[in-house]
Amino acid sequence: MANTLLALSCKQLLNNAIVRPGAAPMSSYVKTLIGKREVVGYGFNGEPNYVDRVDFPLPAIRWKEPNADILALREKEKGDWKLLSVEEKKALYRASFRQTFAEFKAPTGEWKGTIGVTLVLISCALWVIYGLKAFVYPPLPSSFSPENRAAQLRRILDLQINPIQGISSKWDYEKDDWKK
Amino acid sequence: MFRTALVRAQALVKPAARNVATSSRLLSKESTETDEQFDQRYEKFFSQQDIDGWDIRRGITDLWGHDLVPEPKILAAALQACRRVNDLALAVRILEAVKDKCGKREAEIYPWVIQELRPTLTQLGISTPEELGIHKPELHTPSVFDL
Repeated sequence: MANTLLALSCKQLLNNAIVRPGAAPMSSYVKTLIGKREVVGYGFNGEPNYVDRVDFPLPAIRWKEPNADILALREKEKGDWKLLSVEEKKALYRASFRQTFAEFKAPTGEWKGTIGVTLVLISCALWVIYGLKAFVYPPLPSSFSPENRAAQLRRILDLQINPIQGISSKWDYEKDDWKK
Repeated sequence: MFRTALVRAQALVKPAARNVATSSRLLSKESTETDEQFDQRYEKFFSQQDIDGWDIRRGITDLWGHDLVPEPKILAAALQACRRVNDLALAVRILEAVKDKCGKREAEIYPWVIQELRPTLTQLGISTPEELGIHKPELHTPSVFDL
């Protein structure tokens, strides 16, 4: 029994290992996704998928599954294209492609919503800061008052802090005022 | 280092003959191909009599990878190829893609390309996107991400 199983599985493995020329590379799963749509090219990544992209303008599959109307048009397409009406040409285009360049490049207007939501969130955050300042943080220390800051500046100048290029270099000690 | 060795080994294993549209040299040197040779190479590629839809798409995709607007003679050859495989949609799509490929200078380049292609368009009966009215959005289709 075991030997038979082993032999069978070996045979299966060998069969799988041999690549048959001309065998369909597409898995049955992908086939279920694209249905009867015709695979017409490599696309952008070698998968039979449809994406409208400006950098890869020609998708790997046609957009619509062939139906009677489209097949009739395809037959007509084999003749002179001058005999096709504008509607027929458009129908042929729409059978192969989902959106035109103008359509898939059209602005979505999404930026408006994005900016709106961002501004709403920012204003919420401003109210939060306001609330924190009003109810949570203690008042600022006295060193932030204008008189105290003027006194600090005076002391910095009196100590001649940073006299070469900094603040004290801009102070005229003889006239007791800023240098003009 | 290992990668270089691999690439070399692969090059040895591969058959020497490569297709025109994708031929590239596995050298670090820059390509010495002139613009005329480049145009000729693609024109020749699209002028193959037994070209199929797959190859037209491959040639266009290769060509679109370059930072250029293809010469009208290449495009004319590509449109003729579309005629040979009876794919009008492909021809219209190529014209649309050319328009996009002109980028910011669409107003200068695209009318000139169409003017140069006019004899081919008339001969084959291809309508430009403008003539079909698809140069402006026609249908609204919601994004697949919003479904």
